[in-house]
Amino acid sequence: MPEPALALVDVTCGYGTSTVLHRVSLEVGRGEVVGLVGPNGSGKTTLVRVASRALRPAEGIVRVGGLDPYAVAPRQAARMVAVVPQDVAATFSFTVLEMALMGRTPYLSAFGGGSQEDWARARAAMVATGVQHLADRCVDELSGGEQRRVVLAQALAQGAPLMLLDEPTTHLDFRHVLDVLAIVRHLAERDGTAVLAIHHDLNVAAATCDRLIAIDHGRVVATGSPEEVVTADLLREVYGVEADVTTDASTGRPAVHLTVPTEPAARLGRRAHVIGGAGRGARIMRILAEAGYDVSVGVLHASDTDANAAERLNLLRVSVPPFSQVDREAEDAVSPLMREADLLVVCDAPFGPGNVANLRLALEAARAGVPTLLLEQVPIEERDFTGGEAAELWSNLRLHARSVRTYEEVVFELR
Amino acid sequence: MRPGGRRYRTVIAVLAILLVASVLVAVAAGSVGISPLTTVRLVAWKFGLADRPYVPVSTEVILFQLRLPRVILAVIVGLALAIAGTLFQGLFRNPLADPAIVGVSSGAALGAIAVIVAGGGALFGGLGVSLAAFVGGMVTATFVYRLARVGPAVNVATLLLAGIAVAAVISAVMSLVMSFAGEEIRSIYFWLLGGLSARGWSAVEVVGPLILLGSAGAVLLIRDLNLVSLGEERAAQLGMDVDRFKWQAVALGALLAGAAVSVAGVIGFVGLMTPHVMRLVVGADHRRLLPAVLLAGPVFLVLADLVARVVIAPQELPLGAVTALVGGPFFLYLLRRERGRASSRA
Repeated sequence: MPEPALALVDVTCGYGTSTVLHRVSLEVGRGEVVGLVGPNGSGKTTLVRVASRALRPAEGIVRVGGLDPYAVAPRQAARMVAVVPQDVAATFSFTVLEMALMGRTPYLSAFGGGSQEDWARARAAMVATGVQHLADRCVDELSGGEQRRVVLAQALAQGAPLMLLDEPTTHLDFRHVLDVLAIVRHLAERDGTAVLAIHHDLNVAAATCDRLIAIDHGRVVATGSPEEVVTADLLREVYGVEADVTTDASTGRPAVHLTVPTEPAARLGRRAHVIGGAGRGARIMRILAEAGYDVSVGVLHASDTDANAAERLNLLRVSVPPFSQVDREAEDAVSPLMREADLLVVCDAPFGPGNVANLRLALEAARAGVPTLLLEQVPIEERDFTGGEAAELWSNLRLHARSVRTYEEVVFELR
Repeated sequence: MRPGGRRYRTVIAVLAILLVASVLVAVAAGSVGISPLTTVRLVAWKFGLADRPYVPVSTEVILFQLRLPRVILAVIVGLALAIAGTLFQGLFRNPLADPAIVGVSSGAALGAIAVIVAGGGALFGGLGVSLAAFVGGMVTATFVYRLARVGPAVNVATLLLAGIAVAAVISAVMSLVMSFAGEEIRSIYFWLLGGLSARGWSAVEVVGPLILLGSAGAVLLIRDLNLVSLGEERAAQLGMDVDRFKWQAVALGALLAGAAVSVAGVIGFVGLMTPHVMRLVVGADHRRLLPAVLLAGPVFLVLADLVARVVIAPQELPLGAVTALVGGPFFLYLLRRERGRASSRA
């Protein structure tokens, strides 16, 4: 059984009299990418500091590759563990190459500017992080994303078997987030480097880590695969939010969906009904609910995105089982909601034989004088799966309703 | 600017020429003029490289007994103060740090004044005051450093505050001691304001080796100075022994500043301004900064001493006052210019 790259056993530590970590134990194996998640102030950065020899634990054991980093010289420790800190001071005038070479500090003799190998390693680290073309540029002239990658190159040049990253993707745009995560993944797979990365974004953590460790108030509260750690329960208990956790369609990893809780300013005592489907109604429902309407929605298929959205907003909804047709029962349920609404909004959802009845009922209501808005961002021809019936109903609806193209127009119409 | 960059090489060449020129001019100026050519020929003769030129013996005496020791003392004191300033600014990562910050200057002043008041100025062949100043400076620096140390770690913010507090206490004690002074008050004041008059070769011989040793030590700290500019924790992550560096930087800085103060009194502004100005010119990389400071510190002090000597000759101005009067406005001008440049860039 080889020694784990990083092992913490019952580590307790803090600053002064305040204890930040309470008997934390964890392990990171060779070639493993482990994400460290938890809310602000939970002790994530402190944990990284303990593991990187910056903060000696009051109690417990820290082992990097089987050795106690606090028992060796700083030089030796820097060959064992490399750190990518959260913030990068941008006030120094070193070139990118010089910064990368600083990563070779633990290998340099007291004199001299570094061996062939040091230069080669620094160059390789710059290539790996895609900053080699900036080699002679001053770091303080670079963008935030470039500076991040320079610091990553510096850490890579250390060639340590354990890499600790403190929120490596914050302040980066999507492109650079992906680049950085790909570099880290590559490092683990090619060199067998063990990676422990603090992630603020649970979705990034879940999508890119082999294993997650969640800490809260300085204690490990969950550890395991992303599926085991990122759950609605964890979000509620640790982060204090209600959120949906679904399986991401492309990665198969858990994905967190956050919604800002709606709090209508004042109930208007007015009712609005929304005909949606395939997610086209979610935004409208939210706008209406926030404006103070009592919103009903339907008829929807029970598994439709809009049905989930309505459930989250706790709206009155009429639905039929997935893939079934809107039946008489559902029509009877939804018809009065439409007719008695103060406002009817028909969204540009796809209409097929299963849900075209909605348009028929909407036309009746509109003819009967219910103020009606038609959302027309997607042309009806592209979402008519009834062979023309939906398009015909839609053009009839136009005679009795107001067409809007943007959500801003909807908000405007509400005033 | 790269270390080998052309602009950098030009800056260093200009500074080197300035140093030689300012030394020759400083040697030339005085009640008896000595031309640079005479100086060069006399020095060459001393080293056995040329025949003795036909000049009066009095010229030879003035050059070797008065002018040269004084100018060379200005060179090494300027060097010591400027490098000490660079070390402290690097250590504190604060461009406003100077050798006074860990209490070296005030401690040295107290030591010197105590000996002057006690009438011990003539001890050790006239070096009693210097010795007391050096001991006072080192003791104070050690004390301040120990105040700021917890276990092996030293918090630089605490070091800064401890230095300021200790300096304040010392200056109060200094005022008390001075209230007991009688006719010595004039020499105390002259010492407090700094000066290089009538020190002779003995001063150069005593502090020269210390200052050369300290400067060589500073050169060995160049890499650490660069690393620590990324922040202490980052430097440690990259494998630097930060605690050892702090100890070394304070020790070398105190040694250099203590040596300078012990023979020249308290001379402000050289340690603060030289590294600061050179940083504006060559950048913050200590591989480029230290050589520039090494040349610029001596130039500054040699010229300042020249001004102090000739403006109201045969009287002399206090050197510390001259460095502040000349350095202050120039410093402000550079700051404003740099700020203007920075804002136009942004």
